[in-house]
Amino acid sequence: MDAEEESGIRTERKVKKAAQLLFFRRHRIPGVKGWELKKALGDDYVEVIAVLNSVLDTLGMEVKLISEEGGEKEEGEEKKAERDRFMIVLKSPVIEKASGERIDNIAMLSATLAYIISKQGKVPRKAVEEFLSDKFPKQRVYFAIDRYIKQGYVGEDDKALYIGWRTRAEVDRKALLDLILS
Amino acid sequence: MKFYKVPGKQMKFDELFRLLNFCKTIQTEGTDPFDLDVKKFLETLKQYHKKWKSLDDLLLDAEAIAELAKIIELQGKWIKDRSSSFYIDPVLLELKLKMLEPQQLATAFFKSWHPIISLDRITPQRLTEGLAYWDALLPLGERIDEFPFPSAVKSTFDIEDLIELNILSKTEFDDSIRAVLNELEVRGRIEYHDFIYGASFETSVKKAYLTSYLVNEGKAELDINPLEEEVFISPSYYTNVNAQAHHTQSRSIPISLSYEDWLQWMQKRNQE
Repeated sequence: MDAEEESGIRTERKVKKAAQLLFFRRHRIPGVKGWELKKALGDDYVEVIAVLNSVLDTLGMEVKLISEEGGEKEEGEEKKAERDRFMIVLKSPVIEKASGERIDNIAMLSATLAYIISKQGKVPRKAVEEFLSDKFPKQRVYFAIDRYIKQGYVGEDDKALYIGWRTRAEVDRKALLDLILS
Repeated sequence: MKFYKVPGKQMKFDELFRLLNFCKTIQTEGTDPFDLDVKKFLETLKQYHKKWKSLDDLLLDAEAIAELAKIIELQGKWIKDRSSSFYIDPVLLELKLKMLEPQQLATAFFKSWHPIISLDRITPQRLTEGLAYWDALLPLGERIDEFPFPSAVKSTFDIEDLIELNILSKTEFDDSIRAVLNELEVRGRIEYHDFIYGASFETSVKKAYLTSYLVNEGKAELDINPLEEEVFISPSYYTNVNAQAHHTQSRSIPISLSYEDWLQWMQKRNQE
């Protein structure tokens, strides 16, 4: 077996391991931190993820990097990537039903996210409650907001709501606003 | 500019205090930070700079510079926010959101949604770890400190507390209980949820609370059928007639009420 063949097998093994780490949940929040990948795959973990990404691309999926501070990271920022969370998401938006949520809950979530984004990312919880109760009963609004916080779509800090980790990972916020305004 | 050439000391302070207050207003009220002319502010400070003598003068000068720095920082943030692709006039968006139907909002969400793909799987290794944990776990009796009883007495209000705090009057509470009892007497033996649930969830919860007093005081009785998962409530005289000599031991019965359950009940009732 020559060196090139050996290196190919090693890479294949690493890509398989990366796929297992990313597909199966290891923590409460899905995804794996950069340093965990580095520990499991070695220093060249960014290259391994790039290979995995090209495989996933054919299936309509991609590896996405989410920073803890907020915002998405471009590939190449290796140092920062160690602190970031890597997760696999669907590349194209889902048109068919892909959630068991009631339409009312999705509508409230959509309005909540758009409302928070338009207020520069942070807004008092009471303001969101009042805004949503224009169309839904207050009890349902309270219940829905608590659920969004639990699911990670919205975060709460000192009676203020902000965009949660899950929205940062799953929702194309620009597209959402464009669709609402169009 | 000539205005600043020969200022008296009081005039200097007035001018600076006015500018400092303006800086603070921008920070607290969130008004447009570009309302402050930074260049003019710096020129004003420059005019006064050579005239500062005392420590207080210098402190005031330092404070002015610090406030100005905060405003410049706000101006930077303001530009960043508005130049970002996410900036949209909040009033316009709010109006749009109010106009859209829930269906349209949900469609917008789905079209911008890229769900995370993540699976949960219990591996044989994890099962072994779980078993090892189980084996190492002491019996509950030996770990009772891990599950302290909640200090419920200290943290809850009973009816006497509410009356004492003038939140509720005794007469008002008695009238409410009597109204619920009268209704129960009229309706006779009835399924508990059919009795409790009404037009709104709020009144349903209130009625359940009042009913618990009726049961506590022995004015109403609950009849539970665990197999069918049914709970019936009836006024006490009704039960006494049917089972006069039947003595049962009193016990606490938790019956859950939830908003979803109430919604289902409403839907069922509307279908009927």
